[in-house]
Amino acid sequence: MSPKLLTLGFADQLTSVEVDVPAGEPPPWDGVSSLEVVGQPVPRIDGHLKVSGQAVYTFDVRLPGMLWAAVLRCPLPCARIKSISLGRAEKAPGVKAAMLLAQRGDRIVFAGQDIAAVAAERPELARDALAAIEVEYEALPFVVDTRSAAKPGAPMVHEAAVRTRKTEGDEPSAATAAGSEGNVRKMPDSRRGDASKALKKAAFVHEASYSTQVQTHSALETHGIVVRWDAKDKLTAWCSTQGIFSVRDELAEIFTLPVANIRVITDFIGGGFGAKFGASAPGTRLGFIAAELARKAGAPVKLMCTRHEEHVCTGNRPDSYQDVRIGGDAAGRLVAVHVRSIGTAGIGTGAGIGRNAFSVYTKIPHVLVEASDVFTNAGPGTAMRAPGHPQGAFAIELAIDELARTMKADSLRLRIAHDEHPVRKWQFQQGAERFGWTEARAKSAAARGKATRLRTGVGVAASIWGDFGRGGAAQVTVTIGRDATVEVKNGVQDIGTGIGTVIAQVAAEVLSRPVESITVRIGRSEHGPSVGSGGSTTTSSVTPAVRNAVEQAKTQLLALAGELFGVAPREVVWGPDGTASGGGKSLTFAALCKKLPGEAIVTTATRAKTFGHHPMSFMGQPMQQIAGVQFAEVEVDTWTGLVRATRVLAMHDCGRVMNELTCRSQINGGIILGTSYALLEERVLDRDFGRMLNANLDFYKIAGAKDVPEIEVVLTDVYVGNNSTGAVGIGEPSTIPTAAAIACAVYDALGVPVRSLPITPAKILAALGRVPGAGVPT
Amino acid sequence: MNRFTLVRLPTLQAASERVAKAPKTRRFRAGGIDLLDLLKEGLDAPDELVELRAIGGSAGEAMRGITTKDGAWSIGALVTLAQLAEFEDLGTAFAAVRDAAGSAATPGIRNAATLAGNLLQRPRCWYYRHVDLECLKKGGSQCFALTGDNRYHAILGGGPSFIVHPSTLAVALLAHDATVAITNAKGERTLPIAELFALPTVDPEREHTLASGDVITALTLPKAGAGQRSAYATAKEKASHDWPLGEAAVRCRIVDGKMLDVRVALGHVAPIPWRSQEAEGVLEGATPSAELFVKAAGAALAKAKPLDHNGYKIPLVAGLLRDALHRVTGLAE
Repeated sequence: MSPKLLTLGFADQLTSVEVDVPAGEPPPWDGVSSLEVVGQPVPRIDGHLKVSGQAVYTFDVRLPGMLWAAVLRCPLPCARIKSISLGRAEKAPGVKAAMLLAQRGDRIVFAGQDIAAVAAERPELARDALAAIEVEYEALPFVVDTRSAAKPGAPMVHEAAVRTRKTEGDEPSAATAAGSEGNVRKMPDSRRGDASKALKKAAFVHEASYSTQVQTHSALETHGIVVRWDAKDKLTAWCSTQGIFSVRDELAEIFTLPVANIRVITDFIGGGFGAKFGASAPGTRLGFIAAELARKAGAPVKLMCTRHEEHVCTGNRPDSYQDVRIGGDAAGRLVAVHVRSIGTAGIGTGAGIGRNAFSVYTKIPHVLVEASDVFTNAGPGTAMRAPGHPQGAFAIELAIDELARTMKADSLRLRIAHDEHPVRKWQFQQGAERFGWTEARAKSAAARGKATRLRTGVGVAASIWGDFGRGGAAQVTVTIGRDATVEVKNGVQDIGTGIGTVIAQVAAEVLSRPVESITVRIGRSEHGPSVGSGGSTTTSSVTPAVRNAVEQAKTQLLALAGELFGVAPREVVWGPDGTASGGGKSLTFAALCKKLPGEAIVTTATRAKTFGHHPMSFMGQPMQQIAGVQFAEVEVDTWTGLVRATRVLAMHDCGRVMNELTCRSQINGGIILGTSYALLEERVLDRDFGRMLNANLDFYKIAGAKDVPEIEVVLTDVYVGNNSTGAVGIGEPSTIPTAAAIACAVYDALGVPVRSLPITPAKILAALGRVPGAGVPT
Repeated sequence: MNRFTLVRLPTLQAASERVAKAPKTRRFRAGGIDLLDLLKEGLDAPDELVELRAIGGSAGEAMRGITTKDGAWSIGALVTLAQLAEFEDLGTAFAAVRDAAGSAATPGIRNAATLAGNLLQRPRCWYYRHVDLECLKKGGSQCFALTGDNRYHAILGGGPSFIVHPSTLAVALLAHDATVAITNAKGERTLPIAELFALPTVDPEREHTLASGDVITALTLPKAGAGQRSAYATAKEKASHDWPLGEAAVRCRIVDGKMLDVRVALGHVAPIPWRSQEAEGVLEGATPSAELFVKAAGAALAKAKPLDHNGYKIPLVAGLLRDALHRVTGLAE
């Protein structure tokens, strides 16, 4: 550790702070570092490959002699297998291998569970062969509806205790279970003060129930893997994954192989959103199936999920039913919040509601958040972009707006008054001005008063996340050749954020070389250990390691130059184009590299655990709390209930922005996902059949181009000296507040709340009291 | 998806006979939009697809063109939705037809989907479209929408099946009293478009009245009367590529400030495109006013019988009809 004086803070609030920088780390880039390349809107270095179709995704992999696999899935939501046999499937045309994935007597717990699989010469032959597999089921009682499943006497989903499936997509600080009863499995409470007591004394209390739907990840590229055995104990896997090393580790465990004997390749991935960790998907053993069929057939096997499979067995965002009580006092202060929530992750776990109710408005003295998982006979939930948080944000933010109306308080001022995060308070204030908050609220109030057909409304909501960037996880190798080539290698996958481009920028920055002169090798396990893209940790875990490795290489070049110039290394000046000079002499970068005594300089480095100075830490942990605020505007047609999100202003803390273009792109994506969640997406299960009715992209509705609001992104550079580049995550924070802000905007437009996502015309018309003989649907 | 043979025959006669000979295993193919959906979902497995676009000669030409004679428009069955949406010569008298065509699906689909294919596509009901569920429409014993998730189902004319008819063009064409030209091995005939569709009480497994081998060759829009205008309104949850929750099309003539020859058609409310004579009765001969339109919308939906989850369609469709009436009469809201 060595103390360094850094300039930290944000916007015009920069101050000098002494920070203990761990040994081996360069002083972090801070508020006064003037950088040339990092932060610039550099276009993706692989953009042309993607738009021209040359990028090879797992879906595109075709190997000589490759077979195609298909999986038979259980059609019933709960069943006992009375008999099962591969029947004629093994001899069906083109079939080279077949296997059972369930046995006689097995109890199947959701519609879509693995039953058997085949591999054939063509994908359609594999699908045809599934029909020849003979299975007899005994249908068992089931429950797919969350609230019914939570009731005593509901059919039990699991007969034995459930093991929690954890992935790198889960929030790193998420807690585990605290006990269970029936299908209900309680999570530990979050508690400060005494919410019940405070609510009894509160002058104003608002009490209501809020619900959110199950959302599926629906990545454009479905889950898939191609496995080729290179020797008896050695294999290569091409996998559509956001965690290359989690795929490797799972395959190593299943087949008892040394990790060194497994290569995993993910040159490109068509989206993940939290569902693509490990060789298997949450509800189907894809990696095992493909690898085992490949072993049996003696040929490479490709297994890509269909869109139907993608919806039913590869994960989802759990739903939530949140009973909220929130109280205020006569002085206009919020005094207490109590949230009791249940939600279902199907047969899996993890239906929490995130940190929003407990940790954003920390000036509320009394808070109790209780959450429980409810098991249902449905495909397992899994981490999805900010697990729990969009659900939690929706309920607490809309409840605050509803209470504010009762208290005759301005909902924005109420938020600012109860938030202690200096960055978020600033974002609320600056954003309100930029968005035209006051004028917009006055306009919507006037339209409500006149009961006009078309209404607009505006809302605002907060984001909370932690800087979970990992120390020691990513090992980056830099090679500077005698021919002046610079290669940066790391086995990280690019989930779509443009990490390869950012890696090139960091290397270019340190060496003062053009971005295009840097060769980046990522997407393969042999390029060295790295992180999975979960928890919004990729950029903050990898870029500091890149900087550190390149700095080490540069130190060697400086030493070489010093030796050649006859001066001390620290007297060598590194020019803006990478030319080294000292002692009256100078050498261009290329000329200096030519003087290398060996073939190349090779350095490998990682990054230290998060350090720095955190004015607002995340949940008392030694890391910065990442702040964000989004303002949304909606337009509602009160005749038809049609609702559109028309405008979103996103104010986000991005630590130090590494690439303005790709950072904005990530935030755009988070907002589009959040808009789609707010207004459109919903997994529909039929209660009588236990089957998904909209396992397609026709009636599972995802926002298209016309559904996307006009988005304005304000990037708030915040420097806390957390790592050598100052990067933090933005992927998850950017989707947390969108749906909540939209719901608040709908409330502003109508004057009545819609307390259930997605906010459809049906729910709007019901909220307006226009649907004959119907209450408000939930 | 099963394997099939694509058959290209040069004459309408031959194509018609080919399908009529084995109606269970042969299908006509035009744009192939819904047909391939059905094949891919395993809902249909024909051995042969008989390509209507292969038909040549004057018959083929007529099926691909838009022509006018004595003020009436004949629109070929193979005209794509995109062509129809862009056909400006139809003018304001037939605005609903163009707007309906332009509102369906996506630009990509509209470039391939044909007029007749749009009329004859199968319903989008999610029970019908679920390959494993043997519903009434697939020969099963009951309509699962009755007790299931029926948010997108019928509020009018339902029973024993509660699907809504999926064709957007049918709604506009019904409002325009279009006639359907049909050819089969025996010859040619025409049919008012209302008679092309049949309620599920006739046969819950079919939505139309055509016989095997019947080919729709064209739709005819009768000559516009003096002062004729039309308007189409639709509501979709999603702005990009979605199916309507409800639709309304209105055609009328405005003469001396009065609405004459009024036709009101509603879509996605019933198992067939739904004509509302109740609303027409309120509007015929009346002077346009916001109050009148509210009354007409009320009349159109007075007999609606919502299921558990689709009561919202009553105010929604009333709103659409009011919207269409305001636009067709130019009366400010």
